[in-house]
Amino acid sequence: MSLEEPVVAHRSTPSGEPILEAADLYHGFDGEAVLEGLDLTVNAGEVLAIIGPSGVGKSTLLRLLGLFERPDRGSIALEGTDVWATTDRKRLASRRRVGTVFQAANLFDASVRRNVTYGRRIRRSWRDRVRHEIDALLGRATVDEPVIQALETVGLADALEQDAASLSGGEAQRVAFARALAYDPDVLLLDEPTSDLDPRNTAVIEDAVRAARARGIGVAIATHDMHQAERVADRTAVMLGGAVTEIGPTERVFESPRDDRTRQFIDGELVY
Amino acid sequence: MILEIVPLTPSLLEFPFEWHYVRSIIYVSLYVSLVAVALSTLFSLPVAMLVGFSEFRGKQLVTAVINTGMGLPSVVVGLAVLFTVSNQGPLGSFDLVFTTEAMIMSQFVLAAPVITGVSLAAVGSVEGGVRDAAYAMGGTRLDVALVTIKEARYGIATAVLAGFGRAISEVGSVLIVGGNIAGPDGTSKTRTLTTAIQLEARQGRFETAMLLGAVLLALVLLVNGILVRLGSGSGTGGVR
Repeated sequence: MSLEEPVVAHRSTPSGEPILEAADLYHGFDGEAVLEGLDLTVNAGEVLAIIGPSGVGKSTLLRLLGLFERPDRGSIALEGTDVWATTDRKRLASRRRVGTVFQAANLFDASVRRNVTYGRRIRRSWRDRVRHEIDALLGRATVDEPVIQALETVGLADALEQDAASLSGGEAQRVAFARALAYDPDVLLLDEPTSDLDPRNTAVIEDAVRAARARGIGVAIATHDMHQAERVADRTAVMLGGAVTEIGPTERVFESPRDDRTRQFIDGELVY
Repeated sequence: MILEIVPLTPSLLEFPFEWHYVRSIIYVSLYVSLVAVALSTLFSLPVAMLVGFSEFRGKQLVTAVINTGMGLPSVVVGLAVLFTVSNQGPLGSFDLVFTTEAMIMSQFVLAAPVITGVSLAAVGSVEGGVRDAAYAMGGTRLDVALVTIKEARYGIATAVLAGFGRAISEVGSVLIVGGNIAGPDGTSKTRTLTTAIQLEARQGRFETAMLLGAVLLALVLLVNGILVRLGSGSGTGGVR
């Protein structure tokens, strides 16, 4: 099965249905509010762009959606279950259905293979992990098919045995994307994944985003690049003042925003 | 004029027990230092991880205490350990005075801050983004800790070797708690390379002292060679 193939039968949420929902989120640091009553829904099999000025809280929102930290108030639900109202074990299981790619690649000091197999490795039992490590030391380890497919999606299948430190910035970011795809999450959160990349690497990442959508993955991409939102996103949410001021089909949001501040932001007239 | 030919190398035949003597000293030195460093590593690594990973009030003070420990005067450590194992001390009933166990204790106290301090710096130098990546992919706290150890592996190896260097070249505390004892047949009981050098030099047996010094130097050089090798390998991986 190719990653581009729109076969999503194994997913419990059909495409277009809500999979990750944030409701009435409040969060801040050192007494300063960043998110103030934010509501957002990510649907399965769609790309949602989150745009807004720098410092508006896009990264904070993605960290909350990725379950890195607990919101001060409000709820985050995966397939209708409030993840902060469950046990640690269930929350870990929820967290393992969400992948995050950051602005920096943050690759491990290891080979591309070790990086991309990591997510799959840690989902195994300790016994399997030890066995896998022994096999790797003896040179007997085989590479899982999804790992190869993920690297093919970002055009780096040939780099499997390459040292991650030897990759260019763009290649490293593509490996970071493949690393998240390899364990087939239900939701993929991308925090400005192409802000440091050249047009070619950006195009590769955007193609990979479309491939993830085709597989039924719900993708949320925080970006300050409105053109990128127009290129890849089915829906776009505009964040201003710690909340979502407008959300809807990308074309409609950009062509005829209903909120006045959103229109000013899109037209570049908003002073912030 | 009659020229006397002086051999450049000391004649070991002058000391019938020499090799046995030297071997037993090397054995005691390595045994005490390796066991002390192994125990220090088992203790120091979790402490470094705990301090490095957690944010708490007084963290800077704890770090300062650890760094201060790196410069602990060895004779003071020896004195404290001697008191602890002496009849009046809390471990008096174990009869540990002038034993290799007491020497291991003192070297543990000396090596642990070095291994903890250098490991803490190594763990702290691992970028937060790498830890975030491990967590983002579904890693547990243990998984994230393992990733951090792996990323800091060169620094941690340096810490262990630095601890070994501190232990093997130590003289003050092992002299106090070990007593520098060798049996009548020349077998070292608690005599290490450093304490033996001190004794041999004091008694005018410079050849033996120099031989032991050369062995100690070779060991320290070996450790430093490994350190340099590791340093040059950093950033290129290791086991992939």
